[in-house]
Amino acid sequence: MQPAIQVANLSIVFDTNRGQVIAVDRVSFDVAPGEFVCIVGPSGCGKSTVLNTIAGLEVPFEGDILVEGAPVFSPRADVGMVFQQPHLFPWKSVRRNIAHGPRMLGKSRTEANAIADDLIAMVGLKRFADAYPNTLSGGMQQRVAIARALANQPRVLLMDEPFGALDAQTRAVMQDNLLALRDRIKATIVFVTHDIDEAIVLADRVLIMSAGPGHILREVAVKLPRPRSSSVMLEPAYLALKKDCLDVIRAEGLRAFNQSDAS
Amino acid sequence: MQEAASARPEIAIRADGRTRRRDSARLRRLNILVGALSLPLFIGLWELVSRSGAVNMVLFPPPTVVAIAVLEWIRSGQFFGDLAASLFRVATGFIIGGALGILLGILTGQFPVISSLLSPLFHILRPIPPIAFVPIVILWFGLSEAGKLFLVVWGVFFTVWLSTHIGVQKVDRGLVRAALMLGTPRRQMLQEIVLLGALPYIVVGLRTAVSISFYTLVAAELAGAFAGIVYRIEIAQQNLQTGQVMGGLAALGLMSFIADRLFAVLAERVVWWR
Repeated sequence: MQPAIQVANLSIVFDTNRGQVIAVDRVSFDVAPGEFVCIVGPSGCGKSTVLNTIAGLEVPFEGDILVEGAPVFSPRADVGMVFQQPHLFPWKSVRRNIAHGPRMLGKSRTEANAIADDLIAMVGLKRFADAYPNTLSGGMQQRVAIARALANQPRVLLMDEPFGALDAQTRAVMQDNLLALRDRIKATIVFVTHDIDEAIVLADRVLIMSAGPGHILREVAVKLPRPRSSSVMLEPAYLALKKDCLDVIRAEGLRAFNQSDAS
Repeated sequence: MQEAASARPEIAIRADGRTRRRDSARLRRLNILVGALSLPLFIGLWELVSRSGAVNMVLFPPPTVVAIAVLEWIRSGQFFGDLAASLFRVATGFIIGGALGILLGILTGQFPVISSLLSPLFHILRPIPPIAFVPIVILWFGLSEAGKLFLVVWGVFFTVWLSTHIGVQKVDRGLVRAALMLGTPRRQMLQEIVLLGALPYIVVGLRTAVSISFYTLVAAELAGAFAGIVYRIEIAQQNLQTGQVMGGLAALGLMSFIADRLFAVLAERVVWWR
């Protein structure tokens, strides 16, 4: 079966005023159709850059990215994205925000609104369909952003630390919501986070990245049963996985520390 | 005994809270009262000072004399002609200058090439006070209406251009990226995202331009006109009709005030999502 996403030898170089900096160094991975992959790593390891490149918002310095077998040059409607900030259009109501994508793809207002209303029900915001974003809490705004990204029925959903700006309680609720949503939609999901717990709870597979320059340290398959909820964090199998991940991260941290000490 | 001791401080706090609330209500009523008295108090004081003989009544007429002058101005039929002439200049100049400012602000804000071409020129011309153009406007346009409109348009344009330019440039890049990911074509980005994103800035620019249009109106009418509120102030000054001069000033202030209030109401409706 053809992978939904293929990233091959991806390198990304930024021009800064101190010269060129390698942000991402020869990263390769595939994502199978319907798979949920989390990329974990410290801030500055280039995980968001990798995601933006898959989205077509940034151009690779070297390497290839294929989505559904086709190379990515620019944003495409069958790839949805949820950012760390909701980035809702402040002048549109919740319904109009979600209906924006279908409208842009040429659907009539009635059709687009019907799609929006289905998604509004799915993310539990029926009472707020006509509200403007500035009247919603951070968690509700991010639910709208997720619904908006799903409105074009994307084959691939990219999520860039979507719960990073939320408080711990809201974040746990959002993770459970996403797990429930995921069982209803068919999209392939790539989810970037710096939170190892979040990654293991959500993913089928976790890619652990390291900084300076960003590269993949290890892949960890998460074979926890689905349907899942955040209470999976209390199970021994979960703790064993988390220990594996933490060992990798600790070894890398030590190596980086010794290296900086030697230089 | 112990119970009583622990209950007492609570009662004390509550009682304290109640008095404080009563105090704040009393303070609020006092403020409203003083506010309502403010204008009558100053007008009364003005009347007293003018009539006391401490100042020259011809140069500093009391409010009653000013009121009579204004009534005569209205009765003579000149007032409404003057008002119409001034309002026409302000409104037409504002609309033309505002429209040009928004149009060019979008162009320079959105297209770097156009900005490179025009922004240096605009930034050199913008700080010159519009009033300084009066002499050359008289050379170019004489005492015609076109010259007066030119001054108002000139004053309004740069303010609106700059705020629109900044507004377009400050549109949240995150919104643009989100819109791109939702399949928004680049050519629809302007109407869907950029214009609405810049709208709050444009409205602020237009509101500033309201008062600027009145400044430039003064310059335009002082330079020579055949009707208008400021023109009438100048004529009255030459005839030493100080009452009418002050009446004219009051009329100008009132016009500008009403225009600003109206615009504030409008602005709230234009930016509907706030």
